[in-house]
Amino acid sequence: MRTIIVDDEAPARALLREYLAGREDIQVVGECANGFEAVKAIAELAPDLVFLDVQMPKLDGFEVLELAEREVAVVFITAHEEHAVRAFEVQAVDYLLKPFSQVRLEQAIERAKARRAAGSPMPLKELAALAKPRRGPAARILVREGSAVHVIPTPELDLVEARDDAVILRSGGKTYRKQRTLSEIEAELDPARFVRVHRSFIVNVSRLARIELYAKDSRIATLQDGTKVPVSRTGYARLRELL
Amino acid sequence: MHPILARGSRLGPYVAAWLALGGLIAVLAHLAAASPWHEALLLSVPLALVYAFICLASYYPCRVAPVSLASFPRLVVTHLLAALFSAVLWVFLAITWAVILETLPPFAGVAERLGRFVVVLAIIAVLLYTLAAAIHYVLIAFEEARQRERQRLELEMAAREAELRALRAQVDPHFLFNTLNAIASLTSSQPQAARQMCLELADFLRSSLRLGAREKIPLAEELALVERYLAIEGVRFGERLRLARKLDEAALDWAVPPLILQPLVENAVTHGIAELVEGGEVRIEVQRHGERLALTVSNPFDAQGEPRAGEGLGLANVRARLVACYGSEAILHVQRSADTFSVTLELPREALPATVH
Repeated sequence: MRTIIVDDEAPARALLREYLAGREDIQVVGECANGFEAVKAIAELAPDLVFLDVQMPKLDGFEVLELAEREVAVVFITAHEEHAVRAFEVQAVDYLLKPFSQVRLEQAIERAKARRAAGSPMPLKELAALAKPRRGPAARILVREGSAVHVIPTPELDLVEARDDAVILRSGGKTYRKQRTLSEIEAELDPARFVRVHRSFIVNVSRLARIELYAKDSRIATLQDGTKVPVSRTGYARLRELL
Repeated sequence: MHPILARGSRLGPYVAAWLALGGLIAVLAHLAAASPWHEALLLSVPLALVYAFICLASYYPCRVAPVSLASFPRLVVTHLLAALFSAVLWVFLAITWAVILETLPPFAGVAERLGRFVVVLAIIAVLLYTLAAAIHYVLIAFEEARQRERQRLELEMAAREAELRALRAQVDPHFLFNTLNAIASLTSSQPQAARQMCLELADFLRSSLRLGAREKIPLAEELALVERYLAIEGVRFGERLRLARKLDEAALDWAVPPLILQPLVENAVTHGIAELVEGGEVRIEVQRHGERLALTVSNPFDAQGEPRAGEGLGLANVRARLVACYGSEAILHVQRSADTFSVTLELPREALPATVH
């Protein structure tokens, strides 16, 4: 199995490398020291198995998994027991607590092989949604483009638009595409700062310049950068409630 | 709080007992004064109920004269006076009630028959009062015992909580797990380094236990402990973790509470350095301002990171300990700039306790 090791601590990576060195069925194709590298490596190297640390700079293990959007067996490795429940919710193959023995690691590898033979029981999209942290409104939104990860702090997000089966996020004049529904994004954003003004649009309230009546029951909102966004009747009611 | 009046569960049985006593008095009236049954009952049951509430007032003399050998004469005098007063009041009420009943045709002659019975009634009144006072003493003792037990439990719980807090202020177990993992990694590739790290870890744990048991320690010892901690974390984080110190040497023998900087430095590593790809510098500064000491720990942090659970817990702990040690004399400031987080403790100068070894 093509395998990637992700841990921000060099000694922890060295230990895994050593444990794995003796196995013919494991081929370590990459090592990463942070979440960005991990997302890139998973996209470019198409591994079968990833050993993934949970606490890391930039992106934690769960965020890496959310962005992976690829069929890959994950074994989480951490010193913290409290993430175990979430790890199994996102269908992690196994959850190793540091420090762990070689025997315990081999068990995890066997489980990964069994999982690969059986196929993933849950659609990737649902897994990605489960991997999102669920603690209050998101402070940032992560978008992957090929092997690059963009971090959009939510205060800098201007507009979200539903398009086909994805959303287009607009921030500081740039646009990003993310494979999510508008409702999923809406649920993550702070309802005191973002309002769904239309079936297909969410706006950052602080970016609103003006709202004009356009026809009976329909209005047009203009953002500070001049972008025009349709506002439905219910969307207008939501805005009025907030402002 | 009245032990009977304040509780429905006691008041019900109490009143029921008095109803039964009322029946008993009626029997006495029937036998001793030859009252017909309807008259005896209508006379004595309402009187018994009224007396039930008069006797509830014996709680107050009971409070005034608690049971103890020293004040025994006072107890007797108090209750004797109260008993006589209650009895006179009750007999007066009984006569008034009889006079009222007398105006109704079926009860003709009731006042006269009560007159034959009035001495017995007065004796009953004194006896019942005494019984009620005794019951109140028992209930008061019972309530007091319960309250003492509750206080004891509360004290015990507070002590246990303090103990737990103190323990938590020592070492984060995840630090141990991660360090053991690093040692496991070094054992085959660099056995010497693994051994060195075992020794450093043992040193750190031992001194944190030893220092934690003391009330105040010299600042120099706290700084040495923090440096041991950083040396261990340095093996895990490598180049990412750097230390900068700016110390006022003259303050090194000033007293500080043990393990007061350690949680701040631990926070700086786990919430600051560990979240940065390139790591950064943990700065420790010691300054004197006249008779006050300023200790600052600062670290860079990832401004774009998601806030993680558990941040602020260590700080709250340090703050609570400062209040416990110095009251309002100590201050904890937190400063967060675009990319630097810093915590400053300001403490008054204190002499070390005499038992320093």
